[in-house]
Amino acid sequence: MMYTIGFLVNPVAGMGGAVGLKGTDGLVLEAIRRGARPRAGARAVLSLRLIRETPFHFLTCSGPMGEDALRDAGIPDTSVDVVYPAPGTTSSDDTRNACREFAARGADLILFCGGDGTARDIYDVVLDRIPVLGIPAGVKMYSAVFAVTPEAAAEILLVGPPSLLKLRDAEIVDVDEEAYREGELRTLLHGYAKSPYRPGLIQETKQVFENQDEERAKQGIGKFLADVIRGTPETLYILGPGTTTGAIAHELGIDKTLLGFDAVKGGRLIAGDLNEQRILEMLSCGGRARLVISIIGAQGSVLGRGTQQVSPSVLRKIDVENVIVVATPHKLAETPLLFVDTGDRELDREFGEYLSVVSGYGIAQRKRIGRGTVQEK
Amino acid sequence: MQTKILLDEEEMPKRWYNVLADLPTPMDPPLHPQTKKPVGPEDLAVIFPMELIRQEMSPDRFIDIPEEVRDVLRLWRPSPLYRAHRLEKALKTPAKIYYKWEGVSPAGSHKPNTAVPQAYYNMKEGVERIATETGAGQWGSALAFATMLYDIECTVYMVRASYTQKPYRKSMMQVWGAECIPSPSTKTNAGRAMLEKDPDTPGSLGVAISEAVEDAATHGNTHYSLGSVLNHVCLHQTIIGLESREQLARVESYPDVVIGCVGGGSNFAGISFPFAGDKMTGKHPDVDIIAVEPASCPTLTKGLYAYDFGDEAGLTPIMKMYTLGHDFIPPSIHAGGLRYHGDSPIVSKLVHDGVMRAVSYHQTEVFDAAQTFARSEGIIVAPETSHAVKAAIDEALKCRKTGEAKTILFNASGHGNFDMSAYDAYYGGKLVDYEYPDALIRDALKRLPTVP
Repeated sequence: MMYTIGFLVNPVAGMGGAVGLKGTDGLVLEAIRRGARPRAGARAVLSLRLIRETPFHFLTCSGPMGEDALRDAGIPDTSVDVVYPAPGTTSSDDTRNACREFAARGADLILFCGGDGTARDIYDVVLDRIPVLGIPAGVKMYSAVFAVTPEAAAEILLVGPPSLLKLRDAEIVDVDEEAYREGELRTLLHGYAKSPYRPGLIQETKQVFENQDEERAKQGIGKFLADVIRGTPETLYILGPGTTTGAIAHELGIDKTLLGFDAVKGGRLIAGDLNEQRILEMLSCGGRARLVISIIGAQGSVLGRGTQQVSPSVLRKIDVENVIVVATPHKLAETPLLFVDTGDRELDREFGEYLSVVSGYGIAQRKRIGRGTVQEK
Repeated sequence: MQTKILLDEEEMPKRWYNVLADLPTPMDPPLHPQTKKPVGPEDLAVIFPMELIRQEMSPDRFIDIPEEVRDVLRLWRPSPLYRAHRLEKALKTPAKIYYKWEGVSPAGSHKPNTAVPQAYYNMKEGVERIATETGAGQWGSALAFATMLYDIECTVYMVRASYTQKPYRKSMMQVWGAECIPSPSTKTNAGRAMLEKDPDTPGSLGVAISEAVEDAATHGNTHYSLGSVLNHVCLHQTIIGLESREQLARVESYPDVVIGCVGGGSNFAGISFPFAGDKMTGKHPDVDIIAVEPASCPTLTKGLYAYDFGDEAGLTPIMKMYTLGHDFIPPSIHAGGLRYHGDSPIVSKLVHDGVMRAVSYHQTEVFDAAQTFARSEGIIVAPETSHAVKAAIDEALKCRKTGEAKTILFNASGHGNFDMSAYDAYYGGKLVDYEYPDALIRDALKRLPTVP
């Protein structure tokens, strides 16, 4: 069966970075004025030329929004259908419209070249219905749909037909560009896309059985924490966002919000989608409370990304000791360092040098906590 | 500057040392898995030869090593004791480090020390076939070697995670004529049940023991053999410590610190029991005895001291020991031989009573230590042994700080020549520092057998 890839390039992605703009949203003209040149197309070619021998069928957009890169990579015209005419100046509307077209024409996967903004626009249209894979070209790439390099994106696609690709949940995060330019990283979890990965790119040897299947690892974590929660019926648990914490809720048979913080006690959901104020109110009732959070985004952020509800005052009330971090071995293999950014440096330091991250049933991994500013990919 | 301290073949110990004789308080008895009553010799006779059952329960301080067994042990025993001059220099420590090198046996580890007598006693009883389990393959290959000597068939259930990590261990068993099956297998009820529960399980020693015990109990003229944990296994390994004590005496020395790695506890028992005896009888009350285990499977440092099954399916007697729960499947660390949920009941008791102490280390730091050792002493040790190396290095570095010239003895239990994939993972930055989240595990429901 022919494998259909919807392919698009955000031609202006990454232009702001080179000229010190920390993002290009709404600033394309300023970036060009500062001498920025389009780079996304060239990044896409690095990836595409590695798959030109593979009989994929591409749906794409005209000119710099896809067609040019495919041609420059040597992909034969016969494998390419231009299904969306791109205007001279493209915008996020064009990304969204192109994706609607790809979806309507039955794309098996969307391959794009861009940054966090592009990932968010695609996700808004396809949600988790079509797998998404990013060739990194943006200024910021905190979302987890990006391959490590353009070449790595090609390697993932070369694993085989869609049925053989392993999919995992990948966070789409919003970065507040205004704040980011002021040197403050403020992010919000936007949603969870499905993204393919090649197990070999994450871990090479087959000996680590726990790593074979992310869903299985997630179930293990879910079962373990569900047993812990049932075994401590007096403790209030605040479950953070994500599909790994979602697996805990699933084991308990409760409905948890995907992106919010929910309160659980004695194995039962007692409140959903809490804001900081509500969490503080619940904590003021006394008794032990534990916070269960997962690692957000591809850069190993434990707190501070999409977790604004858990403010420093919330954390001080709960106590660092009672923070349980969960993550699949896959996620941990990709994140050599973890970052704790509560917004309160002193509190950050209380987490110490290492975090013990629960990664399976009765299994944890020790991970080092990185210090200083979060590095971009 | 003497490096190797060697004994003549005739100086090989003629008796094993039974530490049970010197315990200040008696052991809690093993209990029958069904009746929960103390196990009697007749309960064990189905799977063990009578002489081993006698040794398991013997109150005698010394037990003779049969001359026929000593004849076989002569192939590599007495094993050398090394003074680690080069390691000491690399560490700039005033400590004197000695290591007992058990990697010289045919199978490359301490395991043949008990495999040979076990096979011998089975042969004496006319047993035709032995089933066993193996973790990293050290025990399986040792028993394959020993059963071959006495013309006994041998079936080895090898923990699946290690079976794929160390394919050459399987080849060794084949050379010596044994059959090696990855566990869980479809050959036993215990294996099939485990596969049904989790088809992708890495397996565990607990599951493999269940399979081997079931195999022995359901096949004619087949016995079971265990490579660690049990008293008679620890007894056979005491030849290591007895030789070491004699070798140190030749250079007029006695250790301040004795170190071994612990999975089920047999090599540690081997190096340490004679010294623990000296400690309990007041001859050397100050000797510091350290059991070293992986942080991912920290039975002695974080387990419960309680009655538990020795295997996953609950077929073995219930033993009082440190345990992480018989259904705990440890993560697939490279030191496969240390992936056991329980520990020798004697070692457990001695740790519990404060005669010995236990420490745990993460995987990466243990390989760092193995590299330091290989780059000073030359020998590439097994990942299991690396744990002992790490503790010895840490003790020696403490001496550098305090200026004390302590004598440190550790058991270098086996070579790592079949563990190159583990070293590859180390150099590739792929080692995961697994931990055991004990506080959380205590909160989750524990499934220990209820003992009246």
